Amino acid sequence: MAHWISKLGWKVIQLVALAILGALLCATMMRFAPGYGVDERELDSRYSQASRESIRSEHHISDGLFSYYGVYLKGLVRGNFGTSIFLQRPVGELLRERAPFTLRTVLFGLLTAWILATALSLLTVRFQSWALDYSATAVTGMLIALPAAVVALGCLYLRAPVFLGIAVVILPKLFRYQHNLFAHAHSQPFVLAARARGVSRNRILFRHVIPVAWHPLVALLGVSASMAFGAAIPLEAISDSPGVGQLAWQAALNRDLPLLTSITLLVTLLTVGVNVLTGSMREGQP
Amino acid sequence: MRRILNFPALILSISVGCCLSPSAQAQGDAELHFCLHGEPKTFNPILVDDEASENVRYLTGGVLIRVNRKTQALEPALAESWQFSRDGRKITFHLRKGVYFSDGTPFSSEDVAYTMRLLMDPQTHSATGDAFRSGDGTVEVQTPSPDVAVITFPALVAGAGRLFDQVAILSAKSPKKEMSVLGPYYVSEYKAGSYVLLRRNTNYWKHDSTGHALPYIETVKLDIQRNRDVELLRFRRGELQLINRLDAEQYDRLQKENLGAAKNAGTGLDGEEMWFNQVASSSLADYKKNWFHTTAFRQAVSMAINRADLARVVFSGFATPAYGPVSPSNHYWFNESLAAPKHDPQGALKLLSRSGFRLENGVLRDNSGHAVEFTVITNSGNTAREKMAALIQQDLSQVGISMKIVTLDFPSLIERITKTFDYDACILGLVNTDLDPNGQLTVWLSYGENHQWNPNQKTPATAWEAEIDKLMREQASNPDEKLRKAKFDRVQEIVSEQQPFIYLVNKNVLCAFSSDVIGASPVVLGPQAFWNIESLRLKPSREMGANK
Amino acid sequence: MKARRALRVVCLGILIAIFTLGLLAGSITHYSYAFQFRELPNAAPSSLHLLGTDPLGRDLFTRVLYGTRISLLLAPAAALLATIIAAILGGIAGLRGGWLEKLILASADLSMSLPLLFVLIALRVWLPLDASPVLSAGATFLTLGILGWPASLRVVWATARNLRESDHILLARSLGYRNSQLLFGQIIPCLRPVFLAQFWVSIPLFILMEATLSMLGLGVLEPLPSWGNLLHGFEDFSAMAANPWRVAPLLVLVLTVICFQFIFPESEELA
Repeated sequence: MAHWISKLGWKVIQLVALAILGALLCATMMRFAPGYGVDERELDSRYSQASRESIRSEHHISDGLFSYYGVYLKGLVRGNFGTSIFLQRPVGELLRERAPFTLRTVLFGLLTAWILATALSLLTVRFQSWALDYSATAVTGMLIALPAAVVALGCLYLRAPVFLGIAVVILPKLFRYQHNLFAHAHSQPFVLAARARGVSRNRILFRHVIPVAWHPLVALLGVSASMAFGAAIPLEAISDSPGVGQLAWQAALNRDLPLLTSITLLVTLLTVGVNVLTGSMREGQP
Repeated sequence: MRRILNFPALILSISVGCCLSPSAQAQGDAELHFCLHGEPKTFNPILVDDEASENVRYLTGGVLIRVNRKTQALEPALAESWQFSRDGRKITFHLRKGVYFSDGTPFSSEDVAYTMRLLMDPQTHSATGDAFRSGDGTVEVQTPSPDVAVITFPALVAGAGRLFDQVAILSAKSPKKEMSVLGPYYVSEYKAGSYVLLRRNTNYWKHDSTGHALPYIETVKLDIQRNRDVELLRFRRGELQLINRLDAEQYDRLQKENLGAAKNAGTGLDGEEMWFNQVASSSLADYKKNWFHTTAFRQAVSMAINRADLARVVFSGFATPAYGPVSPSNHYWFNESLAAPKHDPQGALKLLSRSGFRLENGVLRDNSGHAVEFTVITNSGNTAREKMAALIQQDLSQVGISMKIVTLDFPSLIERITKTFDYDACILGLVNTDLDPNGQLTVWLSYGENHQWNPNQKTPATAWEAEIDKLMREQASNPDEKLRKAKFDRVQEIVSEQQPFIYLVNKNVLCAFSSDVIGASPVVLGPQAFWNIESLRLKPSREMGANK
Repeated sequence: MKARRALRVVCLGILIAIFTLGLLAGSITHYSYAFQFRELPNAAPSSLHLLGTDPLGRDLFTRVLYGTRISLLLAPAAALLATIIAAILGGIAGLRGGWLEKLILASADLSMSLPLLFVLIALRVWLPLDASPVLSAGATFLTLGILGWPASLRVVWATARNLRESDHILLARSLGYRNSQLLFGQIIPCLRPVFLAQFWVSIPLFILMEATLSMLGLGVLEPLPSWGNLLHGFEDFSAMAANPWRVAPLLVLVLTVICFQFIFPESEELA
């Protein structure tokens, strides 16, 4: 029990450390990205010199990077994520408002994509029908070729929820990986031997193919979660959905350092968390 | 201890919110529904500087003087009348009696004083307040009675009357602070990233000619929608009743599908312009600096550009070739005597040859033999600007000039044109919310930060810039409107001769209204489609019937 | 099996045809990809303009042909680079294990969470403003290739890790195979389906990423066409509905992607 707890604790510490490292790396990248510290308001001819100086100081461009690290980490310990420069609101408040939408969208999108991709790839392997295989390949090929903007607008046009857009974006990639994994497992000598002995196709599928492909599939779960979060950003931005993705896009375009740093922290926590979880599932340990 | 728990609490609340958040809200039937093109950054009218917040301010704020968007004339609003002192520094407002804020707090001169003090506080850094800063010293407000407010500025503020159209009066006493308003609507709900819901202010002071309380429409729902194509899709589907500004291609299509929905208010105030980098300390090669400093070069480039094609091809004909900083729709300030530039590539070549340029095998070279090539930057994501740049590229190739186009994200572009000056030329738009040229002082004064081609000059680099400085300073502090006009006319002439900005087009104001909306009458001054929100009506099936 | 081979040949033929058409664009069409027929914006297909014109009056058929060069040369190159990096790092992580495995996986996770948009924006600063559109396009795809490895790393790693524990690798080790023999003779062939899957999935991905980057000024610069910037106007559904011939670049992209999928052999044929 003690060993279990210490292992869990160690993984949580690693997870949090990685998330914080991600946030600080993001801060570094933004700090040195072109356009940092400039504000669109500087083009507003109404502002006086004093107001322009005040606008510039909001971006803390005269602060060193390490002092920003210090301020951010200190705030983090106290649960203060800073204030968004662009939206002039506490970052924590913005994340609390937006994150549930994104999490719901990503979860449902992932679930839908996994169910469809798994069903489709198992069907193609089960029936070994070239017509089914080619049709599935053609359909997923078409889906993969659609730009995120088109998918997002398609959802709006068809009044479909955004999570379906995420499912459409992830499905072709999932299908291809799964199809190859299942097909590869199906081509193994032991499967041939089982078929020769008269074992039914369904039994082969569930007792010999899926268990072999299980480990890489679990790894795929972590990757697909990252892909889903990645897809959420352009989809939410284009469809103007009130999620973290849209916030991240605005933060990146406006060089909003506190906001994007905290969003990176959250996204890293979630994606790495999923990977740690899937890793543990494979190991059969917490 | 509490703060330490905030982090896990945040994660927990996000997770719980994820499970319990309600599904999308049902749309009411009795409301006007349209879009804001960005997230409003603030509901505090003093701090407004973005378009979305300005639109909310227009709908909720009560002002002393209103600029009638149709006639462009000043109208009494919360002030029944006002007088300027002889030197123009003091304004005495006689306020309407019996007016209340949306929460029932009575309105008086004390609220005007409170608002002006906040606005002019140097720590506030308000764009609206900065527009009033005419000189050193403080602004004094006296309230000799509850319905008289006297505001004294340290120096004359030319065009002050118009500036009060941007000053929404805050309540000095209401516990709701800036959420207690004097305008036709108040903010009832705000869902970040999603919408702002406004409800009718039952204490609004205005009535129609029959004594009916305004506004007519009970609620206004403003969806936050950046994507214009999505906005049009929703309009077509009947989810929205108006679109404030359509782009030309969308307007063209909508017009062909549904005559009556699309409305053209005419040439707008906004323009598109191109300029060359004339900053002496920039990292450009000396020969390039020589080109860009040469007036004949800029004039030739201007002559080589086919503005009619820009208006026709890029804006489907819904734009007018521009040749000055002021749109013809700005009736008072537009200089009608300015000659329109001609599209004359041969004339451009003659002009260039007189300055030592020569055309060799289709390539224009300067007198040192350098091929004339430069790169123009513009902001990515603006399709119209990208298209204009492509058309200009072809136009200039006909006079042997090779122009490359680079699109940059907006912060990177701003950095280049305001800080590093690492660019050759730039195409950007000019957004004119104010009719008065005083709103553009920092553009025209050579030491101004927005003097885009060569900002922050210690002394004017050229004689014509020195002349512009003199003229702008003189007109800024002159109470005589006719004299101001004469001086600014001269500024426009100089700009037309020297072409520091090569003006391209003035875009038309294009809006869309569903047939449910009664009383729509778009204008060129913002907010173009809903400037008369208080007198707009919806067809009976949509309206709740605001009888009072 | 025969049908599959026949289909593979057909798809390969289509890809070669598309690629050849792109290479021979200058000979096939006498229009310049940049020339604007300003009297004919958004013109419908005709004998003069086979696929009509774009909003600036540029011949769309010409632009699709020239765009094929950029996209079909550079996107697969970027995909190959990303796949190779993922293969090397994923393979090392899976086979060696230990702290190296943890470090590589953490780097991949971090890379996927970071807004690498800023690296791409910074690229724009490093490139001179007067860089040719071809140089700019090349630099963009190179960067995409270098940054595009994390997505496939975990899958490669998981498969490699499985192999590390597998019976036939243990057998090979016990027979005295050297590491290099193990790697090239046993491990890479087993990982090949994963590499191939990642490779073909990445190609359209990079084409589409280039379209998104075009909006940030980092894609292929005007007037040089690419499938990415030809898809740029696709967000406007009503414009597409009004000018349906503008779907042509998307159709070419979809056809190419589908062909890529069919030309690679199925796993059972590898044995």
